[in-house]
Amino acid sequence: MNDRIILEDVSKFYGEVLGVNRVNLSIPPGISSLVGPNGSGKTTLMNLMTGLIRPTRGRIRILDLGTDEPEKLFKIVGYCTQFDSFPKGLTGYQFVYSYLQLFGHDSRIAEEMAWRAIERVNLVQAAGRKVAGYSKGMRQRIRLAQALCHDPRVLILDEPLNGLDPLVRAETIAVFRSLAAQGCHIIISSHILHEVEVISDQVILLSNGYVVAEGQIQGVRSEIQEHPMQILIRCDRPGELASQVFQSAHIVEARMHTDGRGLLIKTRDPDQFYLLLNRIALNGIAVESVAPADDDVNSVYEYLIGSEEVKR
Amino acid sequence: MNRLWWKQIRAVIRLEMKKTFFAKRGIWIYLLALAPLVLFAGHAIETARHRQALVRLISQNEKPLAEQDFAAITPGMAQEEVVERLGNPPVRNSWKARRRTGPDSIDVFMREQYHYGAGQSEFFVEIEHGKVAAIHRRQEGCDFGQDSIIFASVFQFFYLRLAIFFGCLGIFMNLFRGELLDKSLHFYFLAPIRREIVMIGKYLAGLIAATIIFTTSTALQMVALGWHFDPNALSTYLYQNHGLAHATAYLGVTALACLGYGSFFLAAGLLFRNPIWPAAAILLWEGLNPFLPSLLKKLSVIYYLKSLCPVEIPVGPGVPPVFALLVSNADPIAAPLAVFGVITVALAILLASSYQVRRMEINYTTE
Repeated sequence: MNDRIILEDVSKFYGEVLGVNRVNLSIPPGISSLVGPNGSGKTTLMNLMTGLIRPTRGRIRILDLGTDEPEKLFKIVGYCTQFDSFPKGLTGYQFVYSYLQLFGHDSRIAEEMAWRAIERVNLVQAAGRKVAGYSKGMRQRIRLAQALCHDPRVLILDEPLNGLDPLVRAETIAVFRSLAAQGCHIIISSHILHEVEVISDQVILLSNGYVVAEGQIQGVRSEIQEHPMQILIRCDRPGELASQVFQSAHIVEARMHTDGRGLLIKTRDPDQFYLLLNRIALNGIAVESVAPADDDVNSVYEYLIGSEEVKR
Repeated sequence: MNRLWWKQIRAVIRLEMKKTFFAKRGIWIYLLALAPLVLFAGHAIETARHRQALVRLISQNEKPLAEQDFAAITPGMAQEEVVERLGNPPVRNSWKARRRTGPDSIDVFMREQYHYGAGQSEFFVEIEHGKVAAIHRRQEGCDFGQDSIIFASVFQFFYLRLAIFFGCLGIFMNLFRGELLDKSLHFYFLAPIRREIVMIGKYLAGLIAATIIFTTSTALQMVALGWHFDPNALSTYLYQNHGLAHATAYLGVTALACLGYGSFFLAAGLLFRNPIWPAAAILLWEGLNPFLPSLLKKLSVIYYLKSLCPVEIPVGPGVPPVFALLVSNADPIAAPLAVFGVITVALAILLASSYQVRRMEINYTTE
């Protein structure tokens, strides 16, 4: 059995409006983040993966299952949507319990599973209250409980951390990590780039319905040739270091760090730079640390999609 | 159908029942269902009130009277002779009457009315110039024959064609359309359940709700209709004169109407955003049924339901031909075939709907 989520040449058009176009992805287990501005196609992609909408063209397989067979698909998939609406009149517990009853579980088993999921999202106290009276964060948590309650192997989460307070946020991320460590697929869409950075094993960058990059963030960064790599070097004599590195042709820019104790350089060839730095260090400049300064999601996002779209 | 499907259908029904029965936007369905009950209950109350008034009138007669006693009272008979035969009337009204006797002359005279009660009737003896001018009889109460025709007319023309029709529209079109508007349909579509099973569960929930609401109303209407009759006469009508069979038939037709129209409106809810157009089209189709060729007639619900209605509405000589065609059933079919026909039409529509629901996409932004 294939353990990947595979999208082959998937396109979705809403009439003449483009949702996503020619998406080819093969997503391994772990935490994968869909990153992109509003309207880039993140939710469309998630809805396609869960069969809520059908592709205009292409094929989607979720661990070898088609998306047009919900009776099989949702035994292994949990989807926490962004739709902030619930069946009327249900309490938080009833919402999760009723969902589990649709699986055909006996009431005792459904009850146990529902409580387990509710405990996981820390909502036991409020489980007896009507969902209509919940705060935004509580509604988000009960949706998470619904998506998690049947222990899915694939968890698709549309902006799952929206509205959560910092403590619950951290706990939720821990849950995602633990599931990913167990070999689950966690697909997350998010606008919050530093969070994506922290939790993701890989990112999928979307812009205007196209996948512009995918993979581990450092790998994606190294592919971006038109933007020189930024490296921050902490050392005792940054001025001297600057004069020495500037003798190399691949160095585009060298700038003193604002605190005066480091040098920020831009290079078109990081490998050559690291060799050069070794030689300089041998000549007596004490280098405290060397760290890439722009191989994070923020920078990659900015380079590929545009600074005007970056949301922090 | 396997065990899992039954469990899933039961789970869907449980979720839907509360919504269907207690939806605020469904109050008008109850009002529509209970409208004929108000009519029949009003009729029953009025008839009972009249009966009590007649009993009171009879008790006030000066001597016991039978309806035959009034056969002897003829126009021209002297006022004294009337009183001699019938006794002093319990109610006596008098007023000044005017009658033109020539181009310039008007006769002003006293007119009296003697009001008696006897048997099941009230009698009004009109006295003019000391002699009987006329005698009127007003029979109190109704007979089962007349009431059953009134019930059949209300049932066929209002209850079936409008109340159940629009009630089913309100219940069944909301099963999918309502949830699309509320943006909550994904709850079902994200569960490991065949969409056809969701559809069947929702349809059965709607059917249970519609059947309970409308058959209860039908039953209450019949109770209201029979309430003012003498218990012995009612018992005879029910057990010896097809009354019970008629009541069963009406309840059955009500349930079948919910089944048939329910399937139409469930399909319409899957296909159309605006309920007005499919409702108008189906209403027109059902209304045109008597004028359609024989084959097309069979593609409607009302055709089968009319054949199952136990009482035929008589068409008088003065009734316009178009109306007569609506009333009469020119091409009736046997009851078992009619039941089979409604169920077949409903199943065919549900089968077509299952393809639609399988292909359905959730895109709330376009709703």
